[in-house]
Amino acid sequence: MAYQWDFSPVLANAPLLAEGLLNTLKITGTALVFGVVLGLGLALLRLSPRRFLSWPAGFVIEVFRTTPPLVQLFWFFFALPILVGIEMTPFVAGAVTFSIQSASFFAEVFRAGIQSIERGQWDGARAIGMRHDQAMRRIILPQAVKRMIPAFMERAIELMKTTTLIATISYADLLFAANEVSQKTFRPLETYTVVALIYFVVIFLASQVARLVELRLARSGESTVH
Amino acid sequence: MRWDFASVFDNTDALLVGAAGTLRIFAICLVLGLSLGLLVGLGRYSRNRWLHIPATVFVEFFRNTPVLVQILWFYFALPILLPFQISPLVAASLGISLNSAAFSAEIYRGGIQSIETGQWDGARALGMRWGQAMRRIILPQALKRMLPALTNRAIEIFKMSTLASAVAYVELLQQGKLIASLNYNPIEAYTAVAVIFFVFLWPLVQFSYFLERRLRRDE
Repeated sequence: MAYQWDFSPVLANAPLLAEGLLNTLKITGTALVFGVVLGLGLALLRLSPRRFLSWPAGFVIEVFRTTPPLVQLFWFFFALPILVGIEMTPFVAGAVTFSIQSASFFAEVFRAGIQSIERGQWDGARAIGMRHDQAMRRIILPQAVKRMIPAFMERAIELMKTTTLIATISYADLLFAANEVSQKTFRPLETYTVVALIYFVVIFLASQVARLVELRLARSGESTVH
Repeated sequence: MRWDFASVFDNTDALLVGAAGTLRIFAICLVLGLSLGLLVGLGRYSRNRWLHIPATVFVEFFRNTPVLVQILWFYFALPILLPFQISPLVAASLGISLNSAAFSAEIYRGGIQSIETGQWDGARALGMRWGQAMRRIILPQALKRMLPALTNRAIEIFKMSTLASAVAYVELLQQGKLIASLNYNPIEAYTAVAVIFFVFLWPLVQFSYFLERRLRRDE
């Protein structure tokens, strides 16, 4: 039994898929921005010598790293709105979940980066009269960030793959659009193959860029990834 | 809002069925993913281009597409090419196993490459063939170095197993959904599921930290 492949019904729905891809990029971008900012905050709290700051930060990081993201997403979408009495759209639920989830991973990247800076840099900053936060902002972080870039880009790519979970709560991302197109055209084979290829192209290109940057950084000796 | 976990405890049986489903798919994907990963990793390591190129294509494809897309492809798309249906368990196991194989292949390759060439030379000097040297000398040493990374893979596989609920495979999250919809208690149901996953995974995560510390100390 030879199956007759026919991609034309899928191509006819290209606008739907394009909109889905746009939404995928939108949720990825949102979660990335909030995830990085929140991740830096979590890392700074975790590195704090005060236990009432470092302990809760460590708890959040561990919980979000050790539970499945899909369970977190369902919790934020189905449970949290009832708990606090607010309306939750799929986009907001996804943005909150993926931001906190990726933040807990980014926090560990930041922490490793900050800890990789030699003590002498701290001593030097203190010697010229800087306070802890000044030294962190002006001396330590700028150097640490450069070392963190490869690990950082790897997490960003993971984040993009994780955003597909949002299709399960009916946000119209690329995977959800695939669902719709496949039901509309009765061509699941072609639809899912095309969508898998779109994801592959986007993520593969991002991976290649990450690899190039990593090579450049490795050459200048500024990388935490070996 | 008052928390009421009684409605969750009433459904302990459903959660146990779910936990069994989660452990089943976890075991299948762990065994298939890590053993297939070793084969692909050896292919990536090989200088023979008939092994190297297909292994590389496999790794790049499965590392650069989301697992959920792979699972849905196996569930909705693949059966059209086959003369038989594919069950949710098979579709989800295929997606998660192949994805894990691609990621673990790179761990194996890195581990094997990290072994000094002197070990190969020594094995050859003793008259061992390539396969013997790999099995008796190289892999045992490489495995020790790879153990933390492989443990992390196992943790990832456990977390990925929840994606099987997207094709209605009966596992913990799917049972959580069921309980929430029957008893109108999503807060308690999903919190319970999250706690169960945390309880399962916490020891595994601590174990991986322990392995990482030990490896750093030994080298």
